[in-house]
Amino acid sequence: MIRIRTRRRDRVDVADSGALSDIAFLLIIFFIVIAVFNVNSGFLLELPRRNSVTTINVDDLMRVAVRADNSIELDGQSVTREQLSQAVLARRRRQPNMTLVVTIHPDAWYQSLVSMVEVARLRDVDNFSFRMENP
Amino acid sequence: MRIRRPRRSPTVSVNAMSDIAFLLLIFIMLISLLNYREEEPIDYPEAALTEITQGDRNFEIWILRDGTMIVHGNALPLNAIEGMIADAVAADPSVRIHLLADRSTPYRHVADVIEVLQFLQHRVVSLVVSDTGGAR
Repeated sequence: MIRIRTRRRDRVDVADSGALSDIAFLLIIFFIVIAVFNVNSGFLLELPRRNSVTTINVDDLMRVAVRADNSIELDGQSVTREQLSQAVLARRRRQPNMTLVVTIHPDAWYQSLVSMVEVARLRDVDNFSFRMENP
Repeated sequence: MRIRRPRRSPTVSVNAMSDIAFLLLIFIMLISLLNYREEEPIDYPEAALTEITQGDRNFEIWILRDGTMIVHGNALPLNAIEGMIADAVAADPSVRIHLLADRSTPYRHVADVIEVLQFLQHRVVSLVVSDTGGAR
């Protein structure tokens, strides 16, 4: 009788195959992505009390208006966002206690408000005020 | 005389892998549910120098381009949102209010919400924007 010797298939060691480490790595990436997606970032503003009054030196005021077409007006002249940023920087160097007062047209885009807040943050303006222009 | 000892290589039972995969699937689904957020289709405003404004408890007010205000997936009038904010603040005064408005939303709609927050004496608000990653 002839005995046929069959070759036993080698067992694959799952732990050594590297599959588990791949799965663990993919899971880590998955959770990091999920965590990042659900975090809000932006600007944290502290609103003034309603009808509160603050006394400010008129000379420290820097008035900026945002028109309905989202153009920016500084001292009666149209300026770009960059020009405004430079003007705020120059003014703040002269007057560290300056107050940036922004009047926004009701039809101006929300992006305009965000841009104004960004300029105030960029130039470290401590006193910043915004309100809606009376229609 | 050489005694031949049968060699046994250590193995991990492959049958258990399906159990592990199934448990992982359930785990991931649960985590996804915990992180579930009702995202509205808005075009975020863009800015640099942003900060993480996420709080321990958050209350999100979505404002669409046409002025529609959405809270917890429901379009609501401003007075209803005012009541919801009041309830949320009463339940937890440290709740963080987030404004998520489309970049082209007319400012008057955003101003309405800000006025409500001031009226409710809730003075801290987060303007959520998309970070462009600009430097000083």
